Amino acid sequence: MLFNSYTFIFFFLPVAFLGYFLLNYNKKVEGAKVWLVASSLFFYSWWNVIYLPLILLSVLLNYKLSRVLIEDEEGSLFTKKQYFVVGLVLNISLLVYFKYMDFFITNVNFISGENFELWHLALPLAISFFTLQQIAFLVDSYEGLVKEKNFLDYSLFVTFFPQLIAGPIVHHQEMMPQFSRLKNKLFNYKNIAAGVFIFSIGLFKKVVIADSFSKWVHHGFDHSQTLTLIEGWVTSLAYTFQIYFDFSGYTDMAIGAALLFNIKLPQNFNSPYKATGIIDYWQRWHMTLTIFITTYVYTPILRSFSKITFFKAMFATFAAMFISGLWHGAGWTFIVWGSLHGFALMINHYWHKSKRKMSIFLAWFITFNFVNITGIFFRAENLSQAKDILQAMFTGNIMLPIQLESRLVQLKTYGVTFGSLMGTSRDFALATILIVISFFISLVLKNSNEKIEDFKPSFLVLLLIVPMFIYSIYNMQDVSEFLYFNF
Amino acid sequence: MSNIKDKIQEIFRDIFDEEELVISEETTADDIEEWDSLNHINIISAIEKEYKIKFALGELQAMKDVGEMIHLISVKSS
Repeated sequence: MLFNSYTFIFFFLPVAFLGYFLLNYNKKVEGAKVWLVASSLFFYSWWNVIYLPLILLSVLLNYKLSRVLIEDEEGSLFTKKQYFVVGLVLNISLLVYFKYMDFFITNVNFISGENFELWHLALPLAISFFTLQQIAFLVDSYEGLVKEKNFLDYSLFVTFFPQLIAGPIVHHQEMMPQFSRLKNKLFNYKNIAAGVFIFSIGLFKKVVIADSFSKWVHHGFDHSQTLTLIEGWVTSLAYTFQIYFDFSGYTDMAIGAALLFNIKLPQNFNSPYKATGIIDYWQRWHMTLTIFITTYVYTPILRSFSKITFFKAMFATFAAMFISGLWHGAGWTFIVWGSLHGFALMINHYWHKSKRKMSIFLAWFITFNFVNITGIFFRAENLSQAKDILQAMFTGNIMLPIQLESRLVQLKTYGVTFGSLMGTSRDFALATILIVISFFISLVLKNSNEKIEDFKPSFLVLLLIVPMFIYSIYNMQDVSEFLYFNF
Repeated sequence: MSNIKDKIQEIFRDIFDEEELVISEETTADDIEEWDSLNHINIISAIEKEYKIKFALGELQAMKDVGEMIHLISVKSS
């Protein structure tokens, strides 16, 4: 079930919410948790019930393994370390099996000249996210930081529907105390108001902004071979803003939905396009993933060396970013994207180390353009499509809107042509306007997280949020999935 | 406690290469521009060596806060 669907907003969310607090109100604390887990599994199964056994199996296996990891070793057949390694291998294998088999077979076929058949397995929803979350949990159990002895609580930790599909990636330590706090089992009007507020902002970001860009992004990428210079830039910028408003909109909705249950999910975005360096960018974009990768990938790699040097740290940085690229998708485009970001991080670190300075504007300009250009690889179906768009952006023909022809006709002598861009003149005008507005929103305005920090319910807020909500609902007819559901 | 803080301060001065750097329990990674993931690991390793302790991976994120760092060191080294 999508957050941006009538079923979710007008049926699932109110029912799950009322059921949870009614059960708590009647002192059925365990019952309320069962209700929330059951609701979450219903939410998950709405897409495709055949993957329900898979997530249940994954939850059960990881719970069993963690129990072994936190109990005394005596009388056990294997050491804790062996169980821990088995746990890691199981989680990663499950992900590899569903996500990377076809990519692997394609490459084997390419290298060997054989023709092994592809498996065409559909990617089970949320597998990339619940795998990461549970790996972190196993590591924390192994290192003695968490001791979960209640299967219901553990199921709630993994399946809690606001964060189940695409994060924010949460840690057991930050979630479970919130669920057990007595105060959180009671209606909290302030949290409800704040939750509805941020949910509405997220819905607007997704339905009104991101989904408008979606059309032009599709058009641009589908016509990658015939794009002119300006169209190339409009297409890539449209995607850069689409993915931001899509994913941060989703995250706002997740944070808002969780707040209704008095649960505070971690911040995932902090105005990433204000970043003035690529290190800065990764501290602002998909922050819970950056923290996960830094903690559980980068650090272990670096710690495996006996002495930490700058060179080894750079190796670990690149390796972590490479793995992050592959995690996002099974394809060479994602590997190129991850590697480019890995290189950029290395350059940024070297720059810091040598204590050079740069003007803020130039730093922002380089960072934003780097993110925009690498984003093409992130979106493209294959490398040649990415190359087409890059070619359009840097060596494409210059075509201006046909309306300017009478005034700028002399430019024709320099090879400039006139025509309708992005399919129709109207689309081009709208896309350009929305790009300008998006620059303003993401560079000048406070982000939703800052807004929630100093949130106070007032009539002014109500006057702002109600029209936004209604307009979003009105625009929700063509339900569209979130980009990050494919990862 | 202040003993731990002084030692951490020395480690910070060494890693950030700033002789005048002064930290307090309220200092966080947001206050020191150079305190990124790379320097964070360097700080952690230096503390681990100094106190002959080892931090769990899941503890590293919370330690981007000097107060939390001092707390964890005092728990682990006692």
